[in-house]
Amino acid sequence: MSVEPFNRLVKLAARAFYDDITTKAENQPKNGRSDNRGIAVVILDALTRRQWVREEDLAKDLKLHSKQLRRTLRFFEEEKLITRDHRKETAKGAKIYNAAVAATIDGQQTGREGDEKVKMHTHSYCCLDYAQIYDVVRYRLHRMRKKLKDELDNKNTVLEYICPNCGKRYNALDALRLISMDDEDFHCEICNGVLEVDSGKLASQEIGDGDDNAKRRHRDKLEDLLKKMEVQLKPLMEQLNRVKDLPVPEFGNLQAWEARASAAARAANGDLSNDPSKSSQGLGFGGTPMPFLGETKVEVAFSGLEEKGNIKSEGASAPLKVLPPWMIKQGMNLTKEQRGEVKEEGKMDGSRAPAGASDEKKSATEKHDEKNIQDEYVKAYYAALLQRQREQEVSVKKEEELPNSNPLSGDYGTSNERQVGMKSKREDEDDGDDVEWEEEATAGNTSKPFKVNDLNVQADADDATGDDEDDDGIDWE
Amino acid sequence: MFFHIVLERNMQLHPRHFGRDLREKLVSKLMKDVEGTCSGRHGFIVAITGIESVGKGLIREGTGFVTFPVKYQCVVFRPFKGEILEAVVTMVNKMGFFAEAGPVQIFVSNHLIPDDMEFQSGDIPNYTTSDGSVKIQKDNEVRLKIIGTRVDATEIFCIGTIKDDFLGVISDPSATT
Repeated sequence: MSVEPFNRLVKLAARAFYDDITTKAENQPKNGRSDNRGIAVVILDALTRRQWVREEDLAKDLKLHSKQLRRTLRFFEEEKLITRDHRKETAKGAKIYNAAVAATIDGQQTGREGDEKVKMHTHSYCCLDYAQIYDVVRYRLHRMRKKLKDELDNKNTVLEYICPNCGKRYNALDALRLISMDDEDFHCEICNGVLEVDSGKLASQEIGDGDDNAKRRHRDKLEDLLKKMEVQLKPLMEQLNRVKDLPVPEFGNLQAWEARASAAARAANGDLSNDPSKSSQGLGFGGTPMPFLGETKVEVAFSGLEEKGNIKSEGASAPLKVLPPWMIKQGMNLTKEQRGEVKEEGKMDGSRAPAGASDEKKSATEKHDEKNIQDEYVKAYYAALLQRQREQEVSVKKEEELPNSNPLSGDYGTSNERQVGMKSKREDEDDGDDVEWEEEATAGNTSKPFKVNDLNVQADADDATGDDEDDDGIDWE
Repeated sequence: MFFHIVLERNMQLHPRHFGRDLREKLVSKLMKDVEGTCSGRHGFIVAITGIESVGKGLIREGTGFVTFPVKYQCVVFRPFKGEILEAVVTMVNKMGFFAEAGPVQIFVSNHLIPDDMEFQSGDIPNYTTSDGSVKIQKDNEVRLKIIGTRVDATEIFCIGTIKDDFLGVISDPSATT
C-alpha cells in the first residue's frame, strides 16, 4: 500500500484546481497583504506528508492562523478532498502535564482530581481521503470535458435570457410565459423589456445575433480551450491512470487509525519499555503520533523521561555512542532520582487512557529489568576495576614504585562509592590523570631528594668540598 | 413516455345521482375530472382504461354529498430528459419555435436548430436551409429530443433540440399537398 502515487495525484490536483483558491470573507477588502492564494496548495501538500493530524498542530506546523486553516479545511471538506473528525477531549496535553508535575511535587496522587477538573475541548482532526479524491478528480475532469464538448456542439444547453433593463434572468424553460402575441420577441415579465440571449457560458462574444462568423469564432475558441485543457491536465490524467489499479491507501476513521498507529509503533519499537507509556500518553492527551515524521523514534531512547531525558540524551548522545554498553545503562541509573516523578506520571496516564491500563505492569517489569541491568553493571564494573587494578599494578611495578600504588587503589574504592554514571568516565580519566600525576609526583619525589642533595651539596660546597662550585666560588670571590 | 398505472382518487357525488346507475355516473364524472389533467408526479393523465375498485361511500354531513375512494387504471404521459418525441410545430419566431407533442409544449430555441437553417420572417415565418430543401414552419411535424423539462404541480414544459442526428422535419404537409 504505497501512498506516493496518490500523494502525487493530490499535489497535481492541488496545483491544477486549487492554485488560486482564496478563502476570504466577502466583506474583507482585497489588498495585497491578505491575499492568501496558494495556501490551499500548501495545506494539501502538508497533508500528504501526514495521516490524521490535529488541526491545531497543523496550523502550528504551517505557521498559519488556525482560523484561516480551518476555513480552508472546511472548503476542502466540501470539495470532498479530506475527511474531518471532531471529538471532545480533555484539554491540551501541556495542561495535563503541568498538573501532573504539580501533583508529583506535592507528593500526593492528586492527579486524578486535576484530571476531572480539566475542561473538555473539542478538537478537530483531518485527513486526506484518497479514495474520494481519486473519484472527485475524475468527476471534475469529466464534467469539465463534458461542459466544453456540449458547448462545442451546442448540445444539451439550456439557453438563458436576460432582461437588459432590470437584469432579470430567464431560461428557455420559461419561454412559454415570455412569448408575447404582439411581436416575436420574448418580453420581461416585470418591465416588459425585450429579452436578450445571455451567452455567458464560456465564450462571451455576441453569438446571440446568429452571426455566422461569430459562431465560428466561438467554436474555435471552445476547441482551443478543450485542446489546452487536454494538454495542461495531461500529467494529472496520466497520474489518474497510473493510480487506477493501485490499492487505495485507507486510514479508516480517526479511532481506528489511532489504534492501528499506536500498535504499529509498539511493534516497531519492540519491547522498549518506553514506548507503551509514550503511546498511551499520546492517546490520553489526544496528541496525534505521527509515524511518518519519524521524530518519535528518535526520542524513544530513554524510558519515560520526557523532558529531562530528552535534553540529556541530546547532550550525551554523542559520548554515549562510543561508550561500552554498560555505561549507557548507568545513564538510567543516574536519573534514578527522577524515577519517582516519572512513574507517577505514567500512572496518571494509565488512569486516563484505557490503552495505558497495562502500563503500570509494564513499568514494573521494566523496573525489574532495570535492577538486573544494574546488577550486571555492577559486576561488569567490578570486573573492569579489577582488571584495571592489575594493569595498574603491572605498570607500577615496571616503574618500581610499589608504595605509591596503594593510595591509588584506595582512590578506586572511593570512586566505587560514587555511582555517578557520566561522571564516572571522567573519573576514570581522572584516575588516569592521577596515575600520571602520581608519576609526576614520584618524579618530583625523586627529584626532591636530588634537590635536597643539591642543597646539601651546596651547603657542603659552602663548607668545603665540590670541584665545580669551588671554581665558581673562586671566580666570584 | 407512456405508463399504465393505477391511481386513486376520492370522488364526491351529488345525491341526485344516487340510484340505479350510480356507478356509471361515478365513472363518467371521474373521466371528466381527471382526463387531460397533469400532475407533476405522474405526468399527463391521457385516458382512464378501467376501474379497479370503488370503496365504501361516506356521506358528508350537511351537504349530503358522498365521497367514494376510487381506484382506477389510466395511461399517463410523462416526458423525460433525453427522450425523442415527435411533435407538431405550433409557432415559429426568431427566438426559435414551439411545438406540441400531445399535451406537452416544447420550445426549441434557435441555438438548438442546426446552424445551416436560417430564420425567414414574412407571412409564414419559418426556418429554412440555405438550399431551401428543408423548411420548418407552422404545422410541420418534427422529431426532436428533449433536453430539459420543467415539472410544476400542474404543468410540464420542455425544451428540445433538433441539432442532432436524425432529428428535424419528418413530414411537411405543405410539401405533400
